[in-house]
Amino acid sequence: MNRLLLTAFGLALVALQVEASDPFSKTADEVNTRTVKLFGSGGFRGVANYGTGVLVSPDGHILTLASQMLDTSELIVHLYDGRRIKAVVVATEPELDVALLKIKVEGKKPDEPTGLDLPFFDIAAAAKRPLSTPGDWVLAHANEFEIAMRDEPVSVQRGVIASYSKLSGRKGIFDFGFTGNVYVVDAITNNPGAGGGALTDRQGRLLGLVGRELRNSLTETWINYAVPIGATVEVRDGDKVTSVSIPEFVASATAGKYKPRPRTVATAGPGGYHGIVFVPNVLERTPPYVEECEPNSPAAKAGLKPNDLVSFVDGEPVGSIKAFTDALRKTRPGATVRLEVRRGDVLQTVEVKLEDAPKPAAVPPKK
Amino acid sequence: MPLRHLTPPCLLAAFALFGIGTLGLRAGVDKAVTDAEGQRIAVIDRVRPAVVAVCFYGGEACGSGVLIDAEGYALTNFHVVQPTGSVLQCGLPDGLLYDAVVVGTDKVGDVALVKLLPREPGKAFPFVLLADSDLVRSGEWSLAMGNPFGLSLDFTPTVTFGLVSGVNRYQPPEGKGTLEYTDCIQVDTSINPGNSGGPLFNMKGELIGINGRGSFEKRGRVNSGVGYAISINQIKNFLGHLYAGLDADHATLGASVATETEDGDLGRMVVKQVLDEADAARRGVKSGDQLVNFAGRALTSTNQYKNILGVFPKEWRLPLSYRRGNDTKEVLVRLMGNSDAPVDKPAAEKPAPGRPAPKGDGGPKRPGLDKSPAKKLFVEKKGFANYYFNKLRQDKLRTAVAKAGDFAPLAGPWTLDGTIELSDRRGDFKLTLIDGADGLTEAKIVRNGIEDLVKPLKSNAPLGELQLPQGSGGMLSAVYLYRKLLTQWNDGFEGGFDHGGHEPFYPPPASGKTAERLKDLRVDCEVIRAKHGPFEAKFYYALTDQTLLGCEVTVSKEEEPCELYFADYKTVEGRSLPHRVEVRTGDKRYAVLTVKTYTLGKKAS
Repeated sequence: MNRLLLTAFGLALVALQVEASDPFSKTADEVNTRTVKLFGSGGFRGVANYGTGVLVSPDGHILTLASQMLDTSELIVHLYDGRRIKAVVVATEPELDVALLKIKVEGKKPDEPTGLDLPFFDIAAAAKRPLSTPGDWVLAHANEFEIAMRDEPVSVQRGVIASYSKLSGRKGIFDFGFTGNVYVVDAITNNPGAGGGALTDRQGRLLGLVGRELRNSLTETWINYAVPIGATVEVRDGDKVTSVSIPEFVASATAGKYKPRPRTVATAGPGGYHGIVFVPNVLERTPPYVEECEPNSPAAKAGLKPNDLVSFVDGEPVGSIKAFTDALRKTRPGATVRLEVRRGDVLQTVEVKLEDAPKPAAVPPKK
Repeated sequence: MPLRHLTPPCLLAAFALFGIGTLGLRAGVDKAVTDAEGQRIAVIDRVRPAVVAVCFYGGEACGSGVLIDAEGYALTNFHVVQPTGSVLQCGLPDGLLYDAVVVGTDKVGDVALVKLLPREPGKAFPFVLLADSDLVRSGEWSLAMGNPFGLSLDFTPTVTFGLVSGVNRYQPPEGKGTLEYTDCIQVDTSINPGNSGGPLFNMKGELIGINGRGSFEKRGRVNSGVGYAISINQIKNFLGHLYAGLDADHATLGASVATETEDGDLGRMVVKQVLDEADAARRGVKSGDQLVNFAGRALTSTNQYKNILGVFPKEWRLPLSYRRGNDTKEVLVRLMGNSDAPVDKPAAEKPAPGRPAPKGDGGPKRPGLDKSPAKKLFVEKKGFANYYFNKLRQDKLRTAVAKAGDFAPLAGPWTLDGTIELSDRRGDFKLTLIDGADGLTEAKIVRNGIEDLVKPLKSNAPLGELQLPQGSGGMLSAVYLYRKLLTQWNDGFEGGFDHGGHEPFYPPPASGKTAERLKDLRVDCEVIRAKHGPFEAKFYYALTDQTLLGCEVTVSKEEEPCELYFADYKTVEGRSLPHRVEVRTGDKRYAVLTVKTYTLGKKAS
């Protein structure tokens, strides 16, 4: 009996050993056939005009990030076997930060079956699998830096799930709009063009979509994350709260029935109008001293005065005009912001009810 | 995890009792994991002594490298030795600084070979073995070693561990047409500044590439998870050139190639234009032809084409298959040099106004550099990275060739008797080489009552005469140069004589039939390049035993060279001589000479 047990152990060890030192070539090859290289708009000021997506139906439906790259009528897909074909956006869900595309086959209408029979990831099945946990090894498969074209395989990288949590990130000056949990990865996966790539486990099972190039808004360091394939976010529509998930989105968008949820909160924009004119912003960190307030503006109504130093916006310190402007971008007309203002030696609280920006005065037409 | 070290021994013993202790020395860790870790550490320990910290003279860190033989030759990047200049120093993990010299360079490929000088004469260096990098697959593990950020002051290398993210990657040149990474290996293994030139290993500790580059954008010039290594198989193609002290050049086909259609399935690669002077044009390649296969690899995309072309030195002959209509033809094409082709030639490298021209030795003068013993191993010559090593290779080859016999005393008249087989007839021939009273050599062949006579050095000899017999491309001139090489070696070639590195050579099958696949004929050779009068010759010595397998003699650049293929070596009075000589030009066999007797006269004293 004892001997038998030992033998069984011995076999298990052999199997384990293979796993511990095995390369991921086979996994990389298999995932690559389900991954596509995307080419669209962009290509200026550090905005990539290329990206990655995963096939989610044999008919050529592609799941990717809802990026600016899709804002084009000439969206091009390179399949693993080198085929170069056009695609169209079927639906986009900004709350989930994903979009569904469909390959366009010459002579077929967009809602007709394409007749393709492509390898794909079953999103519903992937979403049912248990979540990965911190410490798990993962592989990222994506066309970062546009390294691969046509039949060249996408890049594969290895990392470890560092955490499963919410992100506090920003993309350029914009806040990151995704409010659900994400996988944070310890490897540098979120490079230009990697967004929409596949994050898989060691066996090549889909865990998530590689996210955007994003900086942590606290430390200014780059974050590497992926949107989990089962991601669900709450959407607030007035008083109503509904939820939406990637599997639901994919299922209904593939059936051509998806309607984006109404959005009441913009994640970015110029923000509400306050009417403060600051001192000239000449330094990187010019302190936000009020020079004057535009007549009849919310700031004037709230009683802000020249030489006031704005120190806090809604409890958050603002050390510079830029920080103030950034903070105000998150607001909307109609909202009230609470400012802590230093006037002389005293700190005062001033509430400013933001308004719509006044229409610019008519400019006489040029000759 | 301090916990696992603090596990009480009694607990371990308890585990052992239940047979679970076999899972690992550290409780809770699978044996498979500790085994894999142990193997990895063993590999790192084995290769570490051969990892080089490339330094300026004086020891300031500059990059990395790796020793590839016991004599102290090490590979690094060209961009690492560009700032150091030819005389430099290298640190090894034994903590010592060694004098070193640049041997050969490949600027386009970003590779350089340096030689470390032993601190005790004749002492062997540790070195690593070269892998077959064509077998590397994405998803495999890799180890990068080197001296990133110049961190190591005692030259103990940093090791990073990661995945191969992609193979056969193409990364376009970085500035002035150099540093083009073709067919390279992409890794997520950390590659940082200072890793340049260092080794990338597979998990057996074999060298698969030389790390040299990364994709950097917004995150600054530090590891971004995307590094690139030059594949060791590309470097192997250039290694003969590098050892021979050459400043090696890459190649073009002399033809522009593009995918036929942009959309749809993978396009066919079609020739758009061929330069008239390109060998491809002479081999019959025309615009509109589809390129099917090049150097044994199928052609599918533009990147792929650049990848294949990019791994070869200029002047190499490689098999190319092209299709026209329903016919597919395989031919051997000679690659043109990048700088020979009028296309894409970068403007002459003039220093920007107001800036001093870069010095040959580069960089600021380092104190003591003039006293470096490595200085004795550097000879400057145009077209060479370091002519000292070219001479060294010539001398080595000469010594090896001497076993075929000493021909120096036999500089008198030569007579070859035997049978000649032409395309339409056969018969006896007599070939004679006699130095005339006017100092000019006369080469003559008589067969079937026809006589052809050439005085190769006669002034104003018309081209047609130098190419006699008609249709041979210049057989008599070629035999004349062959005798010169055997009897005089470099003394016979006033126009130039040097070692040309390594090239493939394709002796035709003795049956006279065309080979099924040209690559089966390939024999890798050492090359001697020689110039004499109007002639340029290349002599091919088998790498394995230094047998002279043939030569290629160019009478005029506008004309096809004459090729001689030597076989059936037999000993004649203690000297080894070929008894079958096939004469070819273009794609055609002109004749096969079967030599019955050699009569080699002594030089009249």
